[in-house]
Amino acid sequence: MERSFTKEVALLRKGKGEIFEGEGILAITKALLQSGVSYVGGYQGAPVSHLMDVMVDSKELLAEYGIHAEMCNSEAAACAMLGASINYPIRGAVVWKSTVGTNVAADALSNVASSGVVGGSLIVIGEDYGEGASIIQERSHAFAMKSQCWLLDPRPDHTRIVDLVEDAFDMSEATHTPIIMEFRIRACHVTGRFECRDNKQAKYSSKNPLQDPVYNLDSFALPPSTYLQEKLKIEERYPAAIDFIRKHKLNEHFDGKQDDVGIICQGGLFNSVTRGLQQLGLADVFGEADIPTLCLNVTYPLVEDEVIAFCAGKNAVLVVEEGWPNYIEESINSILRRADVNTTIVGKGPFPKAGEYQAEVMLKGLAGFLEGVVPRGMDLAPISAAVAAIDRNKAQAAELLGAPIPKRPPGFCTGCPERPVFSALALAQRDIGKVHIAADVGCHTFAVLPPFNMGNSMVGYGLGLASSAGIAPNFGKRTVAIMGDGGFWHNGLSTGIGGAMYNDRDQVLIILANGYSSATGQQYLPSTTAGGSVDVDTVMPIENALKGLGVKWIRKQHTYQVSKMRKLLREALTTTEKGLKVIIAEAECQIAKQRRLRPLVAKALAAGDRVIRTRFGVDEDTCTGDHACIRLSGCPSLTVKPNPDKLRKDPVTTVMSSCVGCGLCGEVSDAAVLCPSFYKADIVQNPGIHDRALDRARRMGIGILQGARSNAGINAGAGQ
Amino acid sequence: MSTTPEGFPGRTLALVISSLGGEGGGVLADWVVKAAEIENYPVQSTSIPGVAQRTGATTYYIEMYPVTHDRLGGRSPVMAMYQTPGNMDMVICSELMEAGRAMEIGMVSPDRTTLIASTHRAYSILERSAMGDELFDGEDVLKAADALSKRSILFDMERLCQQTGVMINAVLLGVIAGSGELPIKPESFELAIEKAGVAAKPNIKGFRTGLAYVRGELQLDEPPEESSRWGRRANMDDLLEAAGRDFPPEAAAIVTEGVRRVVDYQSTSYGSAYLARMAAVLDADKAADGASRGFKLTAETGRYLALWMSYEDIIRVADLKSRPERMARVRKEVGAKDNEPVVVTEYLKPGFEEFASVMPPALGRAVMNWRDQKEWRRDFHFAMRVKTNSFFGFFRLWMLARMQWWRPRTYRFAEEQAGIGAWLDALRDASARNYDLAVEIAELPRLRKGYSDTHQRGTANYHRIFDALAAPVAGFAGDGALQACALRAAREAALADEEGKALDQLLGQTQIPAQQPREAAE
Repeated sequence: MERSFTKEVALLRKGKGEIFEGEGILAITKALLQSGVSYVGGYQGAPVSHLMDVMVDSKELLAEYGIHAEMCNSEAAACAMLGASINYPIRGAVVWKSTVGTNVAADALSNVASSGVVGGSLIVIGEDYGEGASIIQERSHAFAMKSQCWLLDPRPDHTRIVDLVEDAFDMSEATHTPIIMEFRIRACHVTGRFECRDNKQAKYSSKNPLQDPVYNLDSFALPPSTYLQEKLKIEERYPAAIDFIRKHKLNEHFDGKQDDVGIICQGGLFNSVTRGLQQLGLADVFGEADIPTLCLNVTYPLVEDEVIAFCAGKNAVLVVEEGWPNYIEESINSILRRADVNTTIVGKGPFPKAGEYQAEVMLKGLAGFLEGVVPRGMDLAPISAAVAAIDRNKAQAAELLGAPIPKRPPGFCTGCPERPVFSALALAQRDIGKVHIAADVGCHTFAVLPPFNMGNSMVGYGLGLASSAGIAPNFGKRTVAIMGDGGFWHNGLSTGIGGAMYNDRDQVLIILANGYSSATGQQYLPSTTAGGSVDVDTVMPIENALKGLGVKWIRKQHTYQVSKMRKLLREALTTTEKGLKVIIAEAECQIAKQRRLRPLVAKALAAGDRVIRTRFGVDEDTCTGDHACIRLSGCPSLTVKPNPDKLRKDPVTTVMSSCVGCGLCGEVSDAAVLCPSFYKADIVQNPGIHDRALDRARRMGIGILQGARSNAGINAGAGQ
Repeated sequence: MSTTPEGFPGRTLALVISSLGGEGGGVLADWVVKAAEIENYPVQSTSIPGVAQRTGATTYYIEMYPVTHDRLGGRSPVMAMYQTPGNMDMVICSELMEAGRAMEIGMVSPDRTTLIASTHRAYSILERSAMGDELFDGEDVLKAADALSKRSILFDMERLCQQTGVMINAVLLGVIAGSGELPIKPESFELAIEKAGVAAKPNIKGFRTGLAYVRGELQLDEPPEESSRWGRRANMDDLLEAAGRDFPPEAAAIVTEGVRRVVDYQSTSYGSAYLARMAAVLDADKAADGASRGFKLTAETGRYLALWMSYEDIIRVADLKSRPERMARVRKEVGAKDNEPVVVTEYLKPGFEEFASVMPPALGRAVMNWRDQKEWRRDFHFAMRVKTNSFFGFFRLWMLARMQWWRPRTYRFAEEQAGIGAWLDALRDASARNYDLAVEIAELPRLRKGYSDTHQRGTANYHRIFDALAAPVAGFAGDGALQACALRAAREAALADEEGKALDQLLGQTQIPAQQPREAAE
């Protein structure tokens, strides 16, 4: 895994009264332990990948409490785990990235929500929205509405978050409904503190296993039970939820002296609202604000009388709700209309319909609201001035900078084993023309960005091959689909390979097998070998799975051999053999590999063992500054520097010390016949007697020739 | 208006760290948070770590409230999740363009913000993958930093790191501490490094290095003056003296370097040939009142003539790769210690073109014609891996390098000299009509670079533009300024994409003046 939480796991053992200081993700995990869960599970993905990593690293601790942690193969599998709580009074929590994960889990979610639960069931979702998000921009809110689950969006304060997690389990049991709790990216990573409670041992768990199976047709999602369940959702569980929220004061009301206006915000945005008010001079550093605020820690369902009581008597209320559609704002409008309350509701308008409510958006939205409604006795001049100052500052910066600052699109890491595949694909397309490339989700998605600019469509995780079903038969030449090993195990094996085989599809699939779910932080997969450190008997090779499905044309190729990969791609794309052709492009994720090797190398060096270190370099004398090598590689350690030659103007290519010696630049240079400037240097560390003797002899021999040359007056070298 | 209770600061301190993947920005944020915790201040940090975005910029946002938990007595300030324009006390950037980006989005304001940034560059993929020079000019960022920040501490921290062997995140922490802008004692920062437990010893060294620099106790070494990379030969002094004496100061440095280069490449007599050609260019320049233009024509022609005359062939590559100073440079670049043997492997892949280039003209031309007939012949290359510091590997390169004497008798030499002649004629003719046009023609050989396919693309583009836009207009009437613009546009288009789409489009659009061919008009 990318990050180890072994050290932090100690925090999870803290008992009553002790102070916890750490990241949001860890605080949530601690809250689960304090809630007495019996099982946890999930599927990795930012921003909640680390929650999965924490579970793996705290397996020992979990085992002490008899808690089972399952590394699920997809979000659907994770959500299905909650099935345990349908019949049995055991608590469980599952986690995934949303909305993509919720999409995958939606089938199970509908069923669990319809059946209803007796054990507390919590779904922790990382709402991957806004800056730093890696997925399509949507809201998870609608899932809660359609499946009738309750959606919590906690105010980002560790104490509040931990309390709400514990409340959520109670609420789930009181309403027989799974609860979704969403955390935005920054909330997952925010540090903070809270006072701990003791961890709780669940009544039933592997320590005290369940004995009697429960048969209950009413909770089985089959008609006519489903009609009954629909009624229960609306007539019993929903009112129970409203009661619970009201009784336990899950939403928070903050008073303010300005009684003609108010703000209703999603809990997760509360701090941003407060900061905006502070900057406009309307709140102090402790959050005491002039404007009353209703902070919705539960964003679905809304408590009607709470909303009515807050709005009644006010001229205007601002609804701060991120994303589109504006369900909450619309809902408040309709609640007030039915109650005949004439308070003006403002939301989208001063705030944009699309996009994250970052600080500047928040500030301008709040200012726009206040300038529009003109609260009684409020001096608007400083508010307008604060906004104008920001615009002025940015305009001045733009003028001084002269041109937009160059963007830094993400790309493959230094030494990444997937990059060479796209170098080879670029070269193969030079040979046989451009082909349609159905991309997939994973690190390899970066191929669509500079310098490769490669990939024509992408529709979801593991769906690269499935998305070719309509293209391959309708395209004049063979098409290529990409799939990572993560996507393969997630669903690609059935949706992609199963579908293509069953339908006799004639196309090429490249499986990028780097051995981990790398983009999410190098979590293990069924096919992970981790350089041989995983027990061979437990490894499920991709090749075997393909054979099992009847794939005939399977080729395995080490990714760094660009010329061979290019030839193989050409063959796959032009062979007369029909059917699915799969190239398994294999090589271990470089981040994982380096993390594994670095300590071993350090140990060997310290022990005085002979270790070869390989690095690549570029001769600045012979490089002419065309950078074709960079366009075919894009390695972060392959960069440029101002030309040291006084006559040449174009920057020369250079290799930075971060080079891990993967050899791609040399391979590309060779395969594309670029330039003789690349060299490989093998540095012999802790050289033996033999090495030193050979080196001395070589230097001597070469020195004689070099001496002959300068004696002949051909060149006496620089600086003489 | 809301006011904070008496005796408490009215706002939190807000810091943002923006760094690039792999620079340890997260560790730096962690140190700052730990140091604030050591001081018993409320502190919060959050980040967009970009788990999936390996090479992009990452930002870490920190807030702290400079009142101890004891004094707060249970109160807690509300801290924000986002950095806010107009609200930042400190912006810390590990690279120059990230400082530019922070200013671009309004994070640096004159009334409040201390900007700490390293002035070195980590080039973006768009800058790196350009076919020519598209590096962003950092000067504007420095000027903006001066104007937009309350205080700025900018220097090349990467160089300081190289000089002292420390990591940049630790240096940044030292600079933060040394700035005195945060209410945290340097000892607390050091303690934070120890508590974090990540390579504490080297990081404390880095911290102290940054601290010492800000306090003025440590200076950056001046970068060594770049001397010419080309050596000196017998009988060369006369040529160098002539270059310095006969050419105006604006062009003399370039011409002198040009002499060094071509002599190093071939011989002193080749250097004389260079100077003779340049003398003719200087005459034309003077006649065109080049004095008022800083003799730009002479300078630019001097640059590209020297580069063209020292074109890269296999003899040259073998020569450069077998020099003793090259091996020393490689050892330095790869960070080999003195006692560590280094084995260097070259990736060479000559094709028929490279072999033809060292044959006599008639034979070379025949081989090239034969090669051009079939695709496989054009694509055929001999892949060679040469171990330069094995004796036999070196011997092969050394033997090849010894073929210098043969070079003037080769096919490629003849071709290049003919090309040079046509180019010099054109720019001389043009200088009589329009100075800018002549300068543009002088700069055109910038397209001729690279090896193999790259070289073929470059020279093909050169010839397309030269034949279409330079040669036909050099000696004839027409709007010279317009023609100069067209040439410049074409040169830029040739560097826009590898497939030559931009150039195709441009040459398709440009009206090539209906003129008689050169020869016919003379």
